[in-house]
Amino acid sequence: MLKVENLHVSVDDKEILRGVDLSVGQGEFHVVMGPNGSGKSTLALTLAGHPRYKVTKGTLLFDGESILNLGPDERARKGILLAFQVPPEVEGVKIIEFLQQVLVELKGIDPAEAYDAIVKKAGELWFKEDDLHRYVNVGFSGGERKRLELLQALLIEPKLLILDEPDSGVDVDSLSIISRKIEELNRAGTAVLLITHYGRILEHLDPGTFRVHVMKDGRIVMERGGEFVNEIEERGFQAIFEECGCDE
Amino acid sequence: MSETITLADAKAVIENQIEELARRNREPEWMTKIRYRALEAFERAPHNDPVISEEQLLHFIAKPEVEGIPEHIESLEDLPAELKALLDRLGIEEVEQKYVAGLAVQTDTGVIYNQFLQEWAKKGLTVLPTEEAVRRYPDLVKEHFLRLFRVDESKLTAYHTAVWNGGIFLHVKEGLKVPFPLHLFFLIQESALAQAPHIIIIAEPNTEFHLIEGCTAPILVRHSLHLDMTEAYFGENAKGQLTVLQNWPEYVHTRPMTRAKIGKNARFINTTVGLGTGKSNTANPKYWVDENGYVELNGILLGQKDWYVDLGGEMYLQGKGAAGINASKAVIMDESTVITRGIITAEAPKTKGHISCDALLLSDKSRMETYPGLVSRVDDAELSHEAAIGKIREEELFYLMSRGLSEEKATQLIVKGFLEPMLKDIPMEFLVEIRKIIELAVSGGM
Ligand SMILES: Nc1ncnc2c1ncn2[C@@H]1O[C@H](COP(=O)(O)OP(=O)(O)OP(=O)(O)O)[C@@H](O)[C@H]1O
Ligand SMILES: [Mg+2]
Repeated sequence: MLKVENLHVSVDDKEILRGVDLSVGQGEFHVVMGPNGSGKSTLALTLAGHPRYKVTKGTLLFDGESILNLGPDERARKGILLAFQVPPEVEGVKIIEFLQQVLVELKGIDPAEAYDAIVKKAGELWFKEDDLHRYVNVGFSGGERKRLELLQALLIEPKLLILDEPDSGVDVDSLSIISRKIEELNRAGTAVLLITHYGRILEHLDPGTFRVHVMKDGRIVMERGGEFVNEIEERGFQAIFEECGCDE
Repeated sequence: MSETITLADAKAVIENQIEELARRNREPEWMTKIRYRALEAFERAPHNDPVISEEQLLHFIAKPEVEGIPEHIESLEDLPAELKALLDRLGIEEVEQKYVAGLAVQTDTGVIYNQFLQEWAKKGLTVLPTEEAVRRYPDLVKEHFLRLFRVDESKLTAYHTAVWNGGIFLHVKEGLKVPFPLHLFFLIQESALAQAPHIIIIAEPNTEFHLIEGCTAPILVRHSLHLDMTEAYFGENAKGQLTVLQNWPEYVHTRPMTRAKIGKNARFINTTVGLGTGKSNTANPKYWVDENGYVELNGILLGQKDWYVDLGGEMYLQGKGAAGINASKAVIMDESTVITRGIITAEAPKTKGHISCDALLLSDKSRMETYPGLVSRVDDAELSHEAAIGKIREEELFYLMSRGLSEEKATQLIVKGFLEPMLKDIPMEFLVEIRKIIELAVSGGM
């Protein structure tokens, strides 16, 4: 479904991704790990079509077609959704009105139906109806923002859900609900590309069901099975990189 | 604008209009005298408009461009379909049935559709065309007509005073709290007269009201200049709100002149929503605030195309503990220019004033200037100002678009969101209309 080949990406003429290869099939679950600054968010934002991240080389296919020339809205309509690492505040725009509009446009349902769906799913992620009348992310804590990102994923039900650190800054209980909801979406057919620093969010998953990609200096340098997460957590990236000769 | 028009030509036209108005209104002599005095003042008064030259002004007066709708309008049934549709959209009839709102449609000759207001008249609420108030309440009008302006301040004040016609006289008797917003629509159809409504608001002590002037209604004749004047008087502890929705056609220059005296413990919230401000709109409302009184000027300004919008605002905090806020939010696109220049003068101890200006620029050629003025004549006043002029943040736009909204839709959301906090006191029916106008403007500007 998603095929990334030799992807090079620059921001303000500075090259950040230097030849990324990655494939995600329908309904699959992939994890991306890597040190701070290795380019994980850059990859996520590039897939979602951020205008400042310029692809200078390589291919980016979704369902067999190049999406390089598509804007972020067109990619969303094709079924790609990014849950941001740092979701921005949008002053004056109420969550409920925003989500209603999104569902009306993306799924073609009517506003009243959208409203009910939003309130119901919001409850599952511990949002009260009052919260939905607040402005998008304004004054929300880090953990609340992550739950709001997931709420959007639950409502939109994308084909490919890219999650950029949905678990950072999140308390234990929120983490457990977030990880369960991700699995739920995945079981229902959404392919997941999950960026994380910790194995905890993957605790309930059978390591045999997902792949782990390790990023370093703008490249994916290793791909392993799910059990590799534990090894990374135990030994750290440096030791692993030294051993595999990934340090060049 | 080929032929040259002299001051004498303009004066002759004004004089004709004065005579016609005196006759049409069966006007008492004292009012006609005021008009003639204004005509004299017109000659010597200075002209200092930033956009309209003196030559242009004389031309507007003597050779108004007129395209009227001829038929006479006496009841709601006679309204043009588009205006009727607007009233329907605003749910006026429904609202009226529920007895929660008052509506007046101001025409050249009277206020129509006001059965509901008649009920309230018995309780002490007077809403009349200013012409009629001149005849029925001469003493009250004399006491409040042109008390906050000097006739010879400028050619525009003099001209307005000489030919004023239309406008509303709102009088709220002591202690009366009007629980619903009063809607006033201007509907001007008679062609040859200048557009110069005069509005008088008298809120006696301990009263409450909210007047909404909706200029979203189409104006039926084509004029180049619209000059309205509002004088508002707030007694002790009176609380009033005046919301003006402007949606002028593009060819008109508008010069609203508003002044208010705010008594002890009184509160005045003056909101102006300039969605269609016309070719140019300059306003410099003035407010005098007594002990512990409070005034708020909220300006919502939408600059489009080549429009020129200049919103001032002078507040004189004259009594101990008086406070004033001048806050504006502007969305500026195309090649439009918006200027804000509020001045707050603290003349008494423990007064507080704040000026804020927020602008969102949607194009490279749009322009915003802000000149906050803070003047303190005492040593314990608290005066402050803040300004932020910026563009739409890329991160916000990307975030909304990454959810499948087109750039246009995402921009509309951000622009509406930017203005949202200022629209808090506006009734829902108008919000719907206002949001629609903003959406259209954003789409048009993209
Ligand atoms: N807009 C930008 N301008 C300049 N440099 C940038 C920009 N965005 C990313 N970078 C740089 O690119 C590199 C990769 O950043 P990225 O955010 O993709 O890392 P990451 O792997 O997500 O890190 P973390 O684990 O800390 O989230 C970093 O060195 C970062 O400073
Ligand atoms: Mg990151």
